[in-house]
Amino acid sequence: MAVRTRPYEAAADAEALLDTRLVAIGTWLFLAAEIFFFAAWWFAFFYLRALNNNQAWKAPGVGPPSKGYGAVVLALALLTAVSYFLGSRQPIRTILFRLLTPVALVFAIATCLFQGYEMWHLGFGLTDGAYPSVFSGMTGSWLLQFALATAWLGSIVTQTGPAGDTVVRRQPAASFAWVLLFLGAVGVVNYILLYLVA
Amino acid sequence: MVTPARVSERRLSIPNNPITGIVLAIPAYFVGIWLGTLFGLNDERNTGVILGYVFATAAFLAGVGFLNYPLERLFGWRVTPITDPDENRGIGRFFRLSLDHKVIGIQYLVTILLMLLFGGIGAMLIRTSLLVPDASITPAGNYLPLIGLHSVMMIFITSAVIVGPFGNYLVPLMIGARRMAFPRLEALSFWVVPPAAVILAAATFWGGFPTGWTGYPPLSEQALQGMDSYIVGFTLIAIALVSSGVNMLATIIGLRAPGMTWTRLPMFVWGIFTTSILGLLAAPVLAAALTMLAMDRSVQTTFFLASNGGSNYLWENLFWFFGHPEVYIFILPAFGIIMEVVPHFARKPLWGYRTGVVGLFGVALLSWFVWQHHLFVSGIAPVLRPFYMLSTELISIPTGIIFLVTLGTLWRARVWFTVPMLFCLGFLFNFLIGGISGVYLSDVPTDVTLHGSYFSMAHFHYTIMGGEIFALMAACYYWLPKMTGKMLSPTIGRVHFWTMFIAFNSTFFPLFLAGLLNMPRRVSTYDPSLVGLNRWVSISAYFLFASMVLFAGNLIYSWFFVAKPAVANPWHARSLEWQVPTPPPARNFDRVPVIVAGPYDYGIPGARPVADLGGMVGATGGG
Amino acid sequence: MGAFHIEEADRPHIVRLLIIWVILSAIGIVGVLQINYPPYDQSIQGQDQASTLKLLTALATPVFIAVVMMVVYSAIYFRRTTRELVDGPPMLGNTPVQIAWVAISAILVLFLAVVGIATLSNENAAQLVGAPGRAIGGGQTGAGTSGEENKEIHVQVIAQQWYFTYRYADYGGVETTHLYLPVNHPVELHVTSLDIIHSFWAYQLGVKADANPGVDNIFHVTPQKTGSFQVRCSELCGLWHGNMVDSEGQVVSQSDFDTWIAQQQKDFETIAKAVPSYAPYYFPLPLVKGS
Repeated sequence: MAVRTRPYEAAADAEALLDTRLVAIGTWLFLAAEIFFFAAWWFAFFYLRALNNNQAWKAPGVGPPSKGYGAVVLALALLTAVSYFLGSRQPIRTILFRLLTPVALVFAIATCLFQGYEMWHLGFGLTDGAYPSVFSGMTGSWLLQFALATAWLGSIVTQTGPAGDTVVRRQPAASFAWVLLFLGAVGVVNYILLYLVA
Repeated sequence: MVTPARVSERRLSIPNNPITGIVLAIPAYFVGIWLGTLFGLNDERNTGVILGYVFATAAFLAGVGFLNYPLERLFGWRVTPITDPDENRGIGRFFRLSLDHKVIGIQYLVTILLMLLFGGIGAMLIRTSLLVPDASITPAGNYLPLIGLHSVMMIFITSAVIVGPFGNYLVPLMIGARRMAFPRLEALSFWVVPPAAVILAAATFWGGFPTGWTGYPPLSEQALQGMDSYIVGFTLIAIALVSSGVNMLATIIGLRAPGMTWTRLPMFVWGIFTTSILGLLAAPVLAAALTMLAMDRSVQTTFFLASNGGSNYLWENLFWFFGHPEVYIFILPAFGIIMEVVPHFARKPLWGYRTGVVGLFGVALLSWFVWQHHLFVSGIAPVLRPFYMLSTELISIPTGIIFLVTLGTLWRARVWFTVPMLFCLGFLFNFLIGGISGVYLSDVPTDVTLHGSYFSMAHFHYTIMGGEIFALMAACYYWLPKMTGKMLSPTIGRVHFWTMFIAFNSTFFPLFLAGLLNMPRRVSTYDPSLVGLNRWVSISAYFLFASMVLFAGNLIYSWFFVAKPAVANPWHARSLEWQVPTPPPARNFDRVPVIVAGPYDYGIPGARPVADLGGMVGATGGG
Repeated sequence: MGAFHIEEADRPHIVRLLIIWVILSAIGIVGVLQINYPPYDQSIQGQDQASTLKLLTALATPVFIAVVMMVVYSAIYFRRTTRELVDGPPMLGNTPVQIAWVAISAILVLFLAVVGIATLSNENAAQLVGAPGRAIGGGQTGAGTSGEENKEIHVQVIAQQWYFTYRYADYGGVETTHLYLPVNHPVELHVTSLDIIHSFWAYQLGVKADANPGVDNIFHVTPQKTGSFQVRCSELCGLWHGNMVDSEGQVVSQSDFDTWIAQQQKDFETIAKAVPSYAPYYFPLPLVKGS
């Protein structure tokens, strides 16, 4: 376990200079792709709802799960995004930075757990029409992405140590805030469509 | 700049290579199958097969080394910076996860050419089967899996065949960069391709899938386990498209050398740029559609079943919204190659550089607005058809610009007829026919006869094979001397070109007639009056395959049997990738180049060399 | 780059190219106009489609000849003639030429689009004759009410793995496996499927319509010549897709058709008694099409 500071410093310096711009660009490109992904699901929602083939958009008795619960999940997701956004903008190693980033992680884990629970207790079967299909697919894809984002957020938190990557390479950590905000925004749209428009 | 305190040097101690990957993948596959059975659903093990493939791929990627970076971060260990490519120069680096874009390019090249071989063998089996008008050579139960395998394998290949090998290898060299923006992402875009190919081939063990590459439900929901190969394999390719797209775009936007303005960018890079935009945005739509199909097949949702609220048109719209930009993903890099190679061999500037760029962007933009031309006879509301007919006709305008620019470059040139140039000219002929036949298909009245017939087959083979693959051949003959250090034999190359060109046209032109004469696509039996035509086509196809064997022979001959290495700039080209030694040094340039001129400034009095490389000389002393 | 002028060195080439192009195009166009284009003229729609095909080919010929001629000409006249590598003239572009090219291609393409749209709307308009008050491509209709001559016959084409069944809604729901149609009589085909997607392609009639389960895909045709036609499935539908062929479609005279359908109804009598009265007019509900 030798301490090898010099080669790391040199490499980190060089990479940090390039990363600043590249990661920001890459994040926006990735989010553009994600918009198209979710847009495909929103298209499926509106399309199948408009067609209502065989009057089977929703089988009789099928409706959205508890709106209040869905709102809680959404709130947790938004709290994750907002707290991380605020935390990533703080100067490093201040109290707020050290507090907000783990808090965001806690919210993220809670979101995944609550959403997972809801998906296990939907109150309708997946074969009960097109609405259940779209609900489960849209929410499931969102949850999968949010879970991956949570894992990445976890790694960001573990790297907030004094020499951690989150500290040395700030731009990637800051760009990640946009990913969380994006997922939160998608969550809002999904909520409106799945619970309110239905 | 932070001074790190005590730093841990712990590393994961598993050797990371494909063997480890395969060793991990096999048990992971069975774990997936077993997990699928736990759900206890009324499917034919579809959940299990899908999970099996997904887990196997994840385990393979972990074995190759992709989990190292996330796990290092998660456990709070020191994150390994991007390794200096000067370390690790042995042949082994081609068989492991490498973050050097040149290595990834070569890995892509070999993998895709091997896949091309398999796809081509599939084509030969298909044409053999079509020697007789009935199913006596290939029973119907074998024919469908065969065309499924051939078509989807070719789709996987053609999505990546130019961007993968040549995009990855050349883009940093052409823009004056030392690496790509996201080397790990770039490596990922490669390493999902072998699993995708293996998973696709694995469909054969399940009896294949019956839908061809379009995967239309409800047939794709009726299908057995082979269909799951299609779903997972295609999803992996979608991931490759998105990763590659992010990487290429970020690299071209962010890593251009000083002086490499947008107007000095080589046309090849513009081709990669536009294609990456399409790949980045279209592939997620495919991923969503495949997810829906997977859910329908495994957890019994009803996205595509009209009887229960779904609609087969949902698939058709989502698939073709991806599928049409997908075919432009095939051809835009090819346009880039043609507009790149022709000026260097015409010894003239590219005629209408900005117009050419506008043409590429025009094609890319319009490609989003035409997809319903695949649905003209499928029962869409008739009011939609005129709009999509118009938009599809309009896309021939920017496509024509490519011809304008190329023909203008040839005008009063001093054309040097090297093998790459021959392939460019072959491209122009083939794509002309392919493009014109597209206009026939875009016209709704004529599409009524031509849709779903051999005419549309001939159209897309002319554009994809006659277009993209010919451009691929041009790229191979042109750039392999830089990538491998060996020239391909021009004599064999000329025989290859003429055999391929003549055999290609002899194979596919009659198929336009077959379509006009009432032969649908994807059939193993056909009207006996068309036997003569089909036999002519099949024999020509054998010659076409032979020409590709010749190409393979040329590759092997030059790589393994020719001692004399290529000079650094055998074509005396001006563009930046030819100004570095062969093979390029590990970090591409000794120091960051400063670009002072465009790459096509031939014949301009007093034109400066394209870049100031700080005294770097070609290692083998070439021009 | 403003005024359009032709350089001295370009002139001989342009003249040569124009002459070659005009001659070859003339020969080419005359040649392609001689061909008898599918789907020939057994139906009105087919004839329209064949004329469109002819027009397209006639327009494509000079375009094709022009580009190929340019490539071949360049290969002959613009090849490298010196042993050492010499650069060509530094021509960066010519704005008027570029504009002209784009404009000409745009005009050609828009012309084709207009012709295509006109043909489409002609076909649709033709169907309104004899079926007043109906929207294009939609609406369930009852038949056999008004006493109009040449009112449309409604035939439902039911595809399944791996054959087609034809159901004559106006004649009591008679079902047959071969399609007989009377000449000079507009037919409204309602194409649907029982299982997966197929496509009903009646080659000589110029009809192609996808058969989707639960969807009523309407296509109009008016046969104008007697004779046989072939029906093939043109959407991959599984194992026997290639064998999903019906070679016994017939367009017959009105009297032959009346005789034939009367015989069919007689054979169908016992079944007709057993099915509900609304069954002959069943079209998949709701009447959904894509988009």
